[in-house]
Amino acid sequence: MSSQLSRIFSPLRAGNGNQLNRTRSLFFDSANSRAGLVLQSQSTDVYQNLALEDWIDAHVDLQQRSILLLWRNRPVVVIGRHQNPWTECNLSAMRRLGIPLARRRSGGGTVYHDLGNLNMTFFASKKGYDRQRNLKVVTEALRRLRPELAVQSTERFDILLNGHYKISGTASRLSRKSSYHHCTLLHSADRSALSSLLRPSCPHIQSNATPSIPSPVTNLTDHAPSLEWEELLDALVQQYNREFGLSCMSTMVDPTNESSFPGVSNMAAELRSWEWTFGKTPKFSIETQLELMDEQLDARCSASLHMEVKSGRVESCRLDITEDWLPLKLSKQLTDILIGERFCPHRVAASAAELLRPESGRLYRRLHNLCEAVVAVMD
Amino acid sequence: MLSHSRCLTRNFGRSLSAIRQGNNVLARRSTSVLSAIHPITLNNSVKYSPRSSGFQIQYFRTSVAYRDEVITVKTPAFAESVTEGDVRWEKAVGDTVSEDEVVCEIETDKTSVQVPSPAAGVIEELLVPDGGKVEGGTPLFKLKKGAGAPKTAEAPKAEAPAATAPPPPSAAQAPPPPSAVGPIPTTMPPVPPVPAHAMDTKPVSAIKPTAAPAVPTAHAEGVAKAARTESRVKMNRMRLRIAQRLKEAQNTCAMLTTFNEVDMSNITEMRKAYKDAFLKKHNIKLGFMSAFVKAAAQALTDQPAVNAVIDDTTKEIVYRDYVDISVAVATPKGLVVPVIRSVEGMNFADIEKAINLLGEKARKNELAVEDMDGGTFTISNGGVFGSLFGTPIINPPQSAILGMHGIFDRPVAVGGKVEIRPMMYVALTYDHRLIDGREAVTFLRKIKSVVEDPRVLLLDM
Repeated sequence: MSSQLSRIFSPLRAGNGNQLNRTRSLFFDSANSRAGLVLQSQSTDVYQNLALEDWIDAHVDLQQRSILLLWRNRPVVVIGRHQNPWTECNLSAMRRLGIPLARRRSGGGTVYHDLGNLNMTFFASKKGYDRQRNLKVVTEALRRLRPELAVQSTERFDILLNGHYKISGTASRLSRKSSYHHCTLLHSADRSALSSLLRPSCPHIQSNATPSIPSPVTNLTDHAPSLEWEELLDALVQQYNREFGLSCMSTMVDPTNESSFPGVSNMAAELRSWEWTFGKTPKFSIETQLELMDEQLDARCSASLHMEVKSGRVESCRLDITEDWLPLKLSKQLTDILIGERFCPHRVAASAAELLRPESGRLYRRLHNLCEAVVAVMD
Repeated sequence: MLSHSRCLTRNFGRSLSAIRQGNNVLARRSTSVLSAIHPITLNNSVKYSPRSSGFQIQYFRTSVAYRDEVITVKTPAFAESVTEGDVRWEKAVGDTVSEDEVVCEIETDKTSVQVPSPAAGVIEELLVPDGGKVEGGTPLFKLKKGAGAPKTAEAPKAEAPAATAPPPPSAAQAPPPPSAVGPIPTTMPPVPPVPAHAMDTKPVSAIKPTAAPAVPTAHAEGVAKAARTESRVKMNRMRLRIAQRLKEAQNTCAMLTTFNEVDMSNITEMRKAYKDAFLKKHNIKLGFMSAFVKAAAQALTDQPAVNAVIDDTTKEIVYRDYVDISVAVATPKGLVVPVIRSVEGMNFADIEKAINLLGEKARKNELAVEDMDGGTFTISNGGVFGSLFGTPIINPPQSAILGMHGIFDRPVAVGGKVEIRPMMYVALTYDHRLIDGREAVTFLRKIKSVVEDPRVLLLDM
């Protein structure tokens, strides 16, 4: 046992040795055939951490070992693989606060991450995929730490506190040979940010994307104020070792280290791209009424807008508006210019500004008002 | 007789190999040799079927490898007693997939399960709609086994992720072609004549002048060896519209350009002397744009014709008492042209703040329609890309545009001696129907005098 330990840790203790060798040996040391690993990410960038998950899933032989990865992120909203960001979160509020959006590769619903939320990823082979067992690690660890807290995992793989408040949600991904199951744990997250950001931006969307199921949440520190972050991490690592019969210490890893994780920065770049975050939204449509107004003449008009959005871009757009309000040619120009554009208020505003240039007077006012109404639908 | 037949077989053999290579010209020539005998059927490869006009060669492939087999792939069994899931297609009908490539993902109960292709082939039919429910064992899709579309299409795609990773924004911005062929934009060269186009609100899918050229040329070497194909990408509506407007402008305005040069030494010195204090007081950096914007505003109030515009429908000249200057701002998502309103009442600090605010909004995707529409005059800065000299194009419905270019050290004559000064060429393109040559030159000289010595503003000279 001790010789096994020293074989795992002696490369680590090689002082200012080669980081590459250290990390490589962590994963590919053949001496540890039935071993596990506990890793902690140094990064708080969600894209780098998600890319690290992908890298481990793709490159490490998980038939032989299971891995626990602990990580946390700076404030970000993370949606599931097949979700629609416009129905899941308040994109304009996020833009204003500078909070980014990320789409992960596992399924499930939308979550808000910040530095008070702990993420745990359990990597295993497809045969070793057992979510309840993983959640048991969390619940047992919490029971040992604070026995007065009543924590319990549910059938839906949530963890509830006092039978009512959700403190953890789960998502997972099954690839060809491997699997990972990750879950959150609310230690001391900003609950007001959570509730204000996780509400839909666009109310008129019809889509068959995976919906999120909202639940009341609470932080562990609201019920056990003395619980420290490090304490929680240690307890989880210990319980993980106990549950899986291992004896690992947690090792820090740097997801930006290209030599330890070749190809990880490309993966992070893909996760950052608009094509992934917004472009992977399942097809959806918008059907709504626009209330148009001409302030100068104090006149009103109602128009109906129907848009189909595929891969985050406007595929088709129909605007029904009476001829006397605005000539058909102008409203047609607006719908034409939207087709192929990203479903983004900024892009639409730029296109609209382009259209408004040659107009003046009444037509300008009305077209301007119409453009604003269309932009408002997307925001 | 013997020699004759040997000769014949030699010819026969040669022409056969030529035919096998698929060279029709050679085949036609050689069949004329053979036609003298009689049509020959060869057991393995080639059959001649003489037709009225000429000879046709048909190839029959009989080897097993080419027999196309269509298989139906079923939903894999789900783990942990889950019964059903939703299908999300990654590939479409007609896509070529390799063995183990992910065709779709099935979302069951918070888990995303990948469904790989059991063999290489082409997707023939999707049996479940996107988002449809399936259970373990439900038929998912039909795959036609065998080699699909030529691999040359794969080569540029494979290179694309590697090469476009360094500038990640341009990966996201690559023009959305209908059939994702190569990364090289085959439509327009990536570097437009910057002063000309810098004004227009370009769509995202447009070019990133600085980053894009590096990537396609790197590809050109690799891919040019692979395929000399074309790809056609439909023009984006936005681009069509801008193109149409620019052409209209060119057709209605009598456009011409006048040039001048500006000695940037004084303004550079002023900037160097005050930039720290400016930053401390106003919390933003002091740039050169504010000098030019203020100079332009001053000149526009002095020469109202340059701030005016001809209304072609009513044949009137519209003079405006306010000065709204459109300034080109480069954002990661493309060029936007926000407008600074009522510049005539602003000082350098106000202008810098306004430019900064608009730049921030642009970066955060917060620009609204009213931030970008209107404007009585435009300033375009080709200097950021290193341009020396050029003619900007008017942004209708305006009457003039100022093009700033790069600042380069040049020897100039100052007080009878040669000195090296940082010089910038400036260009004013104007509508001659409205603005006379004298007005245009005076306008530009006014800008020059303000930028060369900002004290002129104080003294109202």
